[in-house]
Amino acid sequence: MIERLREGLGWRWRQVELPQLWLLAGLAMALLPHLGRLPWLLILPAAVLLGWRLGFELKLARLPPRLLRWLLVGLALAATWASYHTLIGRQAGVALLIIMLCLKLMEMDKPRDVAIVIGLSYFVVITVFLFDQSLRTGAYMLLVVTLLTTALTAFSRGPSAANQDANLRLALTLLVQAAPLAVLLFVLFPRIPGPLWHLPDDSSSAGTGLSDSMSPGNISRLSDNDAVAFRVRFEGELPPSQQLYWRGLALTVFDGRTWRNPNEAHRGRSPLRAADYTAIGEPVRYAVTLEPHQRRWLFALDTPATVPERSYLSADFELIAHDSVKTLRQYRLRSYPDYRLEATHPPRDFRYLRLPQDTAPRARILASQLRAESASDAVYVQRVLDFIRRQPFYYTRQPPLLTGDPVDEFLFDSRQGYCEHYASAFTVLMRAAGVPARVMTGYLGGEPNPLGDYFMVRQSDAHAWSEVWLRGRGWVRIDPTTVIPPQRVEDQADLERIAPGYAARLQDAPDWAKQMWRQMGYGWDRVNDAWNQWIIGYNQHTQSHFLAKLGLGEVDWRRMVRWLFLGLALVVAILALRLFRRHPLRGDAVSEAYARFCRKLAQRGLPRGAAEGAETYAERVSEARPELAPQVGHITALYLRLRYARSQPRNGLSHLQQAVRRFRA
Amino acid sequence: MPLTLRQRLSPARFLRGEGPEAGPVLLRQRRVFILPTRQGVLFAIILLLMLIGSINYNASLGYALTFLLAALSVVAMLHTYRNLLHLRIAIGPAEPVFCGETLRVPVTLENPEGRARYALSLHFPEQGRVLCELPADGWQRVELPLSAKHRGRHALPRITLATAFPLGLFRAWAYAEFDARVLVYPRPAAATLLPLDCIWQTDLSGDRGRGVDDFAGLRSYHPGDAPGHVHWKSAARGQGLHTKQFGGDRAEELWLDWAALPAGSGVEARLSLLTRWVLDADDAQHRYGLRLPGQTIPLGQGAEQRRRCLEALALYATESP
Repeated sequence: MIERLREGLGWRWRQVELPQLWLLAGLAMALLPHLGRLPWLLILPAAVLLGWRLGFELKLARLPPRLLRWLLVGLALAATWASYHTLIGRQAGVALLIIMLCLKLMEMDKPRDVAIVIGLSYFVVITVFLFDQSLRTGAYMLLVVTLLTTALTAFSRGPSAANQDANLRLALTLLVQAAPLAVLLFVLFPRIPGPLWHLPDDSSSAGTGLSDSMSPGNISRLSDNDAVAFRVRFEGELPPSQQLYWRGLALTVFDGRTWRNPNEAHRGRSPLRAADYTAIGEPVRYAVTLEPHQRRWLFALDTPATVPERSYLSADFELIAHDSVKTLRQYRLRSYPDYRLEATHPPRDFRYLRLPQDTAPRARILASQLRAESASDAVYVQRVLDFIRRQPFYYTRQPPLLTGDPVDEFLFDSRQGYCEHYASAFTVLMRAAGVPARVMTGYLGGEPNPLGDYFMVRQSDAHAWSEVWLRGRGWVRIDPTTVIPPQRVEDQADLERIAPGYAARLQDAPDWAKQMWRQMGYGWDRVNDAWNQWIIGYNQHTQSHFLAKLGLGEVDWRRMVRWLFLGLALVVAILALRLFRRHPLRGDAVSEAYARFCRKLAQRGLPRGAAEGAETYAERVSEARPELAPQVGHITALYLRLRYARSQPRNGLSHLQQAVRRFRA
Repeated sequence: MPLTLRQRLSPARFLRGEGPEAGPVLLRQRRVFILPTRQGVLFAIILLLMLIGSINYNASLGYALTFLLAALSVVAMLHTYRNLLHLRIAIGPAEPVFCGETLRVPVTLENPEGRARYALSLHFPEQGRVLCELPADGWQRVELPLSAKHRGRHALPRITLATAFPLGLFRAWAYAEFDARVLVYPRPAAATLLPLDCIWQTDLSGDRGRGVDDFAGLRSYHPGDAPGHVHWKSAARGQGLHTKQFGGDRAEELWLDWAALPAGSGVEARLSLLTRWVLDADDAQHRYGLRLPGQTIPLGQGAEQRRRCLEALALYATESP
């Protein structure tokens, strides 16, 4: 198959040594997923070097001389430095590895070089997993590993080996035989919670999803993104859908246009203080599987009563992880939807009231006006919400561009906006009237997967709302977008979200194709969820959980290692028994008969010599005992034909055995 | 032959093999050794780095890949070992060569199993390698080079059969040492003018040599005699087949004599010169004999005489007869 492909490509391709081709194909495919992550300054040279090597294999180009190679190494280092200003860390390290590996192609002639290149190509595969561990990538990378392994077999068999399909088949056989061992290692190898050491964080790697600031247009850009942000499994009762506010980050600093999260130094840690926190009613228990978003915050329902490992609760009741979430992260939580938070004392911090001096003058006037008409802060909140409900505010994904003061222009002129506009304007109105307030970003709602027992929360569910502090009630969540009447919500999906049930009544049932597409989507997400649960999320915790479920009881790492070695020994022994089993063949019976013949002669003082061939032996015997010559000649000829001839005589074996039996020396 | 545990674990087996053996060698489990190659060590280092990376970044698929590759190398180890297992090695007699030439030892590799063997390499210590493959249930004969450095009859050094198939991460090898000998003739001296008067003892007294010129009588027929020389008349008379014999025109009988050589030259130089003369005399189809101290090879002619003389020269003053 492979040969025919090569033949079809023309005479130049016929000269290529196929092991090299396997390797180049595998390497190119391994590099492909990195395309989007690397700067062009490095992609281009890597592609050129790969092409150069291919050209060399096609006898179109010569490899660069040593001096030029060193120059290229220097240039590669410079390009990496120019792109990342460092040579270590995840991004820069991977870039450096790739460019150096491609340079190594320029001097790959000895078996050792080939081994280095293939070994590092396997390493490139693993670097892909540092960025993306989805099922799709995993399956693709398995293909790459197969190609690289085929290259190894092809190199080890030598370039003369004509049949490349056999190499591919052998690589597949090896991988299939390795699979049980690999599974055993995966399940039983004790997981060490990383990281072993901290590598510099890549500031350049922006994940999708929410960012740590919010300005107009920030969240609406996510509204078309169907990617799953996280999945949730509830234990027991589902909370009502109007409570599914997934809190992410509190934005407290406003510069007139953009809301920001105060940086680490200002945030401070907040130990859970019972005095400030009164839980009411039953908690919601759930487990979140968070897709890597390269940021440090975690998402939780109001209000988390527990803190997952390696994270803490900030003063604004955000869940902050110790490290940014670079790989799939799972955590379990207990939240109290009804609560009183810091209800008795107003927050001493002025940052919940601070507004830039000259922003939103018209909003300030409106605020003082409405506040003067209100008996309390709580009544004031209602007045502002009424204002939004009564005035012609629209909820739209394509709000007009705001050129002046964004808050004033939105509140009094355009009156079209997405959740960030409403949350921002509402919080400004609160602060202008002296009510402590902050903007919360996170996700709203989620979609249950009918094929699984979990919720999917997508990027398009990103949302922003406000929290205000009211005397006696503490921090209270206010979502100003919920008061917009449904007819003023432009998008069906948004309507579904902020006024559940309303959209379904309006819309006709989707036709069967849509339904099927939806079902397939659910199915695919279900598979991905299983992948996340069982493969990606397999960590120290799930490992001990799983092993306990298997009936191994409470397992510490010592027992795990013991089980692991036992299992490995067993699997290897089974495999070795299968592989080393002798294949009883016709050949053995032939040798056996001939050996009997030799023994008979040896008893008569004519043993077969050390390295004596059957024919020489026969001649010698015939000379010594001419009367035996015909029989000896017959047996020897039969033996040789059975042993070495391409075409086998019929009933040859039984003839030989018979002749040997009758033979009397 | 079963081994005791002590013998089985003895490092001598690992380094030197089993010692010379009589018959064909079958590679059973205990004869096949295996160790990682340099590439294998490199691969292990890369795997270790991969494991550290996976731990550091909590990358589950990283773990999976690392484990898959580790398992792959274990499986490859078994396959490498299996690639040699149950092979049968036999050798044939090697044609004698002159010192300085290369012996070609015929080695027959036999694969008694129903799966092919790939990338096998055979070599004598510090000698060139021969690569071969064996089809399922097939055999292959290769000629293994062995440079002949000294004249005499030598024990065949041990043969190393090795393979790194299928991934090159491990090298399995086995030693096969045969109880066989190879003969190396002395290096013939450069062609020199023969000091004829000194050593040629020409006997011109009779035409006793066989030739094609003069009819000299009849002898009984031997298979292979030219039909033109068969005496058909006697055959027609029912006297059986006879062949006409002819006398040579002039038979030169020469004695190649050790004692006649200049006394000053060393043993090897004399042997070299005598070897050269044996070859020259054989080429010229002379009848010749060889006189060495303590040994005389009578006059003779043809391939057998050449062999006898050269063997005597090869073995002169060596330990083994």
